[in-house]
Order: sequence, then C-alpha cells, then structure tokens
Amino acid sequence: MIVEFKNIYKNFNAVKALQDVSFTIGDSEIHGLLGENGAGKSTLMNILGGVLPPTSGTIIIDDVEYKSLNPTQANELGINFIHQELNLVNDLKVFENLYINREVTKYKFYLDKNYMIEKSYEIFKRMNVSIDPKLHVRELDTLQKQLVEIARAILFESKLIIMDEPTTALTNTEIENLFKIMRDLKEQGISCIYISHKMPELFTICDKYTVLRNGGFIESGDFKDIDENRATELLVGRSIIEEKDIHKKQLDSEAVFEVRNFTCEPFFRDISFTLKKGEVISITGLFGDGRGELSEALFGARKLDSGQILKDGKPLSLSSIRKVMKSGVGMIPRNRKERSIIKDMNILDNVSMANFNAKHKNPIISDKEELKRFSQNQKVTNIKVGSPKDSITSLSGGNQQKVVFARWFELNSDVYILDNPTQGIDVGAKFEIYKLIYDLTDKGKSVIIFTSEFPEIYKTSHRCIIMYKGEINKIINHEKLNERDVMYYSTGSNRKDENDE
Amino acid sequence: MSKLKSMLKSINKENIKKFYIEKGKPVLKNLVINHNYVISLVLLLVLGQIASSNFLSFGSLVNLMKSSVIIGIIALGMSLVILSGNIDLSVGSLLALTAANTALVYNSSESIIVSLFFALIFGAFLGSINGIFVGKAKVAAFIVTLATMAAYRSLTVQQGQGGPIIITQDAYYGKLREIGYGKFLEIPYIVWIFVLVTLLIIFIMSKTKFGRYVYAVGSNEKAAKLSGINVDRIKVYIFSLTGLLTGLAAFLYVSRFGSVDTATAGKSFELDAIAAVAIGGTSMAGGKGFVQGTFFGIIVIYAIDAVLTSFRVPSFVNDLIKGILILGAVLMQKVLNAKRQAE
Repeated sequence: MIVEFKNIYKNFNAVKALQDVSFTIGDSEIHGLLGENGAGKSTLMNILGGVLPPTSGTIIIDDVEYKSLNPTQANELGINFIHQELNLVNDLKVFENLYINREVTKYKFYLDKNYMIEKSYEIFKRMNVSIDPKLHVRELDTLQKQLVEIARAILFESKLIIMDEPTTALTNTEIENLFKIMRDLKEQGISCIYISHKMPELFTICDKYTVLRNGGFIESGDFKDIDENRATELLVGRSIIEEKDIHKKQLDSEAVFEVRNFTCEPFFRDISFTLKKGEVISITGLFGDGRGELSEALFGARKLDSGQILKDGKPLSLSSIRKVMKSGVGMIPRNRKERSIIKDMNILDNVSMANFNAKHKNPIISDKEELKRFSQNQKVTNIKVGSPKDSITSLSGGNQQKVVFARWFELNSDVYILDNPTQGIDVGAKFEIYKLIYDLTDKGKSVIIFTSEFPEIYKTSHRCIIMYKGEINKIINHEKLNERDVMYYSTGSNRKDENDE
Repeated sequence: MSKLKSMLKSINKENIKKFYIEKGKPVLKNLVINHNYVISLVLLLVLGQIASSNFLSFGSLVNLMKSSVIIGIIALGMSLVILSGNIDLSVGSLLALTAANTALVYNSSESIIVSLFFALIFGAFLGSINGIFVGKAKVAAFIVTLATMAAYRSLTVQQGQGGPIIITQDAYYGKLREIGYGKFLEIPYIVWIFVLVTLLIIFIMSKTKFGRYVYAVGSNEKAAKLSGINVDRIKVYIFSLTGLLTGLAAFLYVSRFGSVDTATAGKSFELDAIAAVAIGGTSMAGGKGFVQGTFFGIIVIYAIDAVLTSFRVPSFVNDLIKGILILGAVLMQKVLNAKRQAE
C-alpha cells in the first residue's frame, strides 16, 4: 500500500497543528516518524486513521484520492493504529480480544469459539510466535500483549500498521523479537509507521524517516544517509548543546545516604550502597530486577523485611513517607500521569502538595505565600507557564516533570530519587531535565536515578549499579561505562557462567 | 468600620470592571460554564413564578430554604466524600440512629447543649466506623456504607421497637422547639445554621490543607500518597466529618419534629444528598467540583418539588419528573463541560 500525504493542513481553532505536510510512505517499508511532543505526529496519524478530518489537503492511498477518511473506511483500507496504551481487555481471553467486535458466530447468537481459536493459532504461527489464544490477556507480558495487537491487525488484513512508541515497556530482548516480527511482516508486504523517541531503535528498524517539527514538515529521507546527531538536530531544530562533564569535578567524600542490607522478598535482597554528596548513582537492570520496588522502598512507600538507611550518619525512619520527606529525601515517581500529577489541580497546588505535608504548619493556606514560593522555584526549574493557576494538564510532559521536581525544591531536599524521570518526554525536554540534575549536583545535592536507557546513565551518573533478579550484580564507575557491559551484567550473563561451572 | 470604608473606597470603575472580567474571562460566561447549577435554579424560580404569583415572595423563598436545611447539611458532607472519590450510602440511617439517641438524651437531660454535643460526637463516631473500614481496612466505600446503612437502621428500629421515639411534650415545648422554629431577622435559625455551615465547609475546602488533601485523594490517590499525604487517615477524617455533619442534621431534625419514627426517619436521604452533589457539578469520580454547587444543588431539588406543587402536578408522578429534571441538569453540565474542555 502506498500512502501519500499531500499539503495537509489542520487547525484547531487558532492553533495550527499541521501546516503543509507532504510525504509518501512506500510499499513494504518501515517508516520512522520523528518529532518532539507537540510536533503534530499524533494529529497526522489521527487523520490517517480517520479520527480527525484535515482542514485542507488530500490523502492519496493506492492512487485513490481522499479528502478525509472515517474510521470504518480506514479500517477497510487496512490501516491499523496500535496505541501506546494498549487497547486490550485484560479479563478476556486472547482469541476473544482478537475478534472483539467482529466475533464469528454460528446460528446468529452462538459464538463459534473453535473457529476463532483455530484462526488465532494460524495467525500466531504466521508471525512465528507461540502464544496460547486460550490464555487470559492479563497472564501475558507486555511484549505478548503488543503482539496480540499486531496479530489483530494482521487478522483483519491490515496493510499499514501504525505503532506509537511500542517499545517503552519492553526489555531489549523483547524489542529484538518485536523487530524480527516487524521485518517478517515487511516481507509479507505490510508497511509500518513507527513512532518513537528512541534514536537507536529508529536506526535499527526503519528504512525511511520523516521529521515533523511544530506542525511543519521538515525532511524525509533514507535512514542510511544520516546519523543520530543529524537526526537529533532535525528533530530539535538546533544542534544539541554538548552535555556538561559533571564527572571531572572531584566529589566530596562525605556520605549523605547509606543504604544497608535492604531486603524485601521476593523483589530484592541485601542491597547496600553509599551515596556521596554531589553524586549521581544510576540503578539499572531488566524487567524483574526489582528496581521499581526498591525505589519505592527507599522512599518509605514499601515495607521492608530488613535493612536501614543512614542519612548524614543518622538512622532514617522509614515508617511513613512523610517522615522520609521531612528528613530531606525527595521522589520523582515513574509513570507521571499515574503516580505524580494530580490532574484536577492547578500547577501551584501540584507544586505545593509536598510542602503542605512536611513543612507548612498553619492549616490555613495563603495564596500569596504559595505564589511567592512558586516564583522562587520557577527561576530554578525554568517551568514555562502562562499562569500558575492554570491546570497542570495544560503543560507539556517536560514541564509537568519540572513541576514535580519543584515540589522537592520547596522542601529543600538534598537526596533525590528519580524513577524513570524522562519517560515519555521529548528530546529537548530530556536535556532540560539533565541540566536540572547537573544543577542539583553543583549545589551539593545527591541523586539516585532508576533508568533503563543507557545514554541517560552515561550522561548523568558517576556510578551505575546494575541489578539482576533483585540483587546488585555489578557496580561500574563512569570511566568504565559502556553499553555492552551494562547489558552483559543486566542479563546476568556473568552468573550463568558461574552456574555452568 | 474602617474595613467597610476601605471596601467602599475600592468600588471604582477599575474594580467593577475587574469583577465582570476575571482573568480575561467574562464573569457571566464563567458562571454559565463553571457554575451552571445557578442557571438551573434561576430557571426553576422563573417557572415557579409563572405557576404561582407569590412563588418568589420572601416567605415562600424562606420556606424553600427551610425545607432544604436538613438534607442540605448532610449533602455538604456527601460532597467531601464524593470529592475524595468515595460514596456514603449510610447517611440516612446514620441520621435516624443519631436522632433517636439524641431524643433519648434530651429526654433525660433536658439540656440543649448536652444533646447537641451528643449528636455531633455520636454522629462523628458512627461516621468514623465507615471511615476506618474504608481507609484502614481498604474495603470499597460502597460496600462498607451499604452494610452500615442496614446495620444503623436495624439498631434504630430495635431501639424504638419499630415505633417512634418521642420527646416528652413539656420538654419539647420548653426550649428545643425554639431551635427548630425560632427566627432571627425573619429568617429561621436553622437556615442561618445551614448558611454558616456551608460557608465554613467552603472555607475548609478552598483555604486549608485538609481541603487540598481531599481534592488530591479524589483526583489521584497514588500521587497523593507519594507526595506524603496520609491517605488512609484523610479518608477516616472525611467520613467522620460527614458523620458529624449528619449528627448536626439529626439534632435539627429532632428539634423540628420532636419525634423520630425509627423505621422511616432519614429514609432515602442519601439519594437526595447524592443528587444534590451531582446537580452541583461535582464529578462522581472525585477530584472535581465545588461545595457551593452542592448548596445550590439541594435548593434546586426542593425548588423542583415546590414548582411541581405550584403546577398542581399529582404527587404520585413527582419523583418521575424530579428524576427527569435531575438527569437533564446533569446532562447539561456534561455538554457544558465538554465545551469548557474544547476551549
């Protein structure tokens, strides 16, 4: 299937979401769509999926010109959109999900389960994966769920699959599997539009690229003609500032945060490390390494079997989150929408939330005082807002994340636990978050980052702790950091050798 | 006095303009979109006036307010519960049990102060039982309060052996009746109480830490917890406060009626209270809404009753029409909310 966008414009009232976008997606190709958040990728994909009509312009699909599409039409043409938040019903079985809303029946009412199950087997066989269609979807891991979505697209003779950030929740091995399947599909003549922020992946899997910026079309071309730096430049519209080398600075030897023998079965055991003043430690690993649980435990949000923390040499009470906060530890949780942003509240209240708990003695709140505190922190965090009383959801992902940082600045925290802090944030904003981390260490604050992205580890950390199945497998200093070793220890390859012996 | 003077001084062109255009948005438009229950109320009042010419007289407006008081005070508590993402079905039974025991306390003590405090504390205690099950034991609020609704009612009926609990004539006409029927500046005490309590709750919800916590818990419990809020304890407080307010309503109930029919007192009050919160624009999912809305919401519900009476609608279909109007009001809000989002 060949899809050509021709002079697409889309306005939402005064906002120009897309301006004069024209490019072509060829037959049997994997086409990378690049752009920061707000560049217009989703709008364009929604136009292709028939969810939105363009303000002007045409879409030409296999030589037929369309002024606009509707969702049914898009489906019939074989265009399928796999959203980042997967669209599966956890409580139904795999085959039921595959056939949802298109069930095959016998005698009108009676579901023809055997037929559907058999067909599902066939599809999975064609994809070269082994998933039992009779399992409940909740029993599957994230990759398998993703594959079920892809299977659904194939089942209904999709010719073009749009994938929005499909790898965010996948481990590296799973990503490789997904890519293998995508290549197989390409062989079978199915095209794919691949949306992602992750450069290495785009370069691995995609043939062609198209870059959008601020709603405008920037460039299309072959991935083999460009490198990552060039792609990032196209994306951001300026060359990326060289990251400051924080690691040249001599660290104070003063230990501020000592974790001793942290154990919480079955997630992690016997975790000990020491964080120095001004130091950044990253903690990484693969799915099932117990990182997520460890980050919660460090903040007092999860009960431990045993272990303690020494903060500035004194034992820290982990009995409630409030006590941990008060002793100067701040937390930026993973999964911003679910765990850190309070969506019905304005920006100001979102920032002040921690302060109310730990510092603000008076039960009555003064607007003036809140605003004053906010503007002081705004200078540090560089949050871009119209008015601090606007809704938090009016901000971009990066700015929302800065709001969460500002929470802890108000408390003057000196140890920051960041759990996947740049999740779903575009390249430009990522650098701003890193800059915030550098500024923190300059001021002698210490940071623990939980992340699975190697560039992030490399750019920020003095040391990297690699976890494997709930234990510290290896600690690597910055000078010796490289992606291969991190992968080697994350997969526990060193331990497999031991086991063999 | 000096405060008043400075207030008068501040009324100039600039400030009047400011009043009409807040944050660049016209106040009237803001009213239509954010506080549209006011429109429902105005529409009903106009309808009422069409039906009977003295509908908008001072007397009948006061009557309208007066009939809203008891469920209104309960609905204020219900707002908090719903804003925090929970529900309380037990308020009707809680009112009955508190009222029955308050009557007994008054019979033996003949002291208004003692029985008022008893009502407040007993109500808060019954509410805290809900709160502990919801907050600490983490059982769904719907289930907990469904259970206590049945349990509290059963206790009440047992106490009255199925019949009413009556305050002895002499004691009632002595002082207690004065609270239910007395007036200050031509407006009944109970209406004053309702307005003051509403203002207090509005203050708590908009200007205090506790208010922020209630919104935060209702909007995103996980995030609230990770910013250090003791979510479990906040829930216990919310249900206790609702119990306390229902206790106050129970005291006013006793002072107005002088007796408590254990089987029917407070029956289906929870439904009117929830309806008032819904009409007032509070999201049933929690996190979004205003207590002011509930105040007008309950008046809207009683205005519907009054308008239907004025139109001489047979009382059997009253609830049908009420149901339709409530759905209509909430639908209107949905449409307006969608519009607000689009802007």
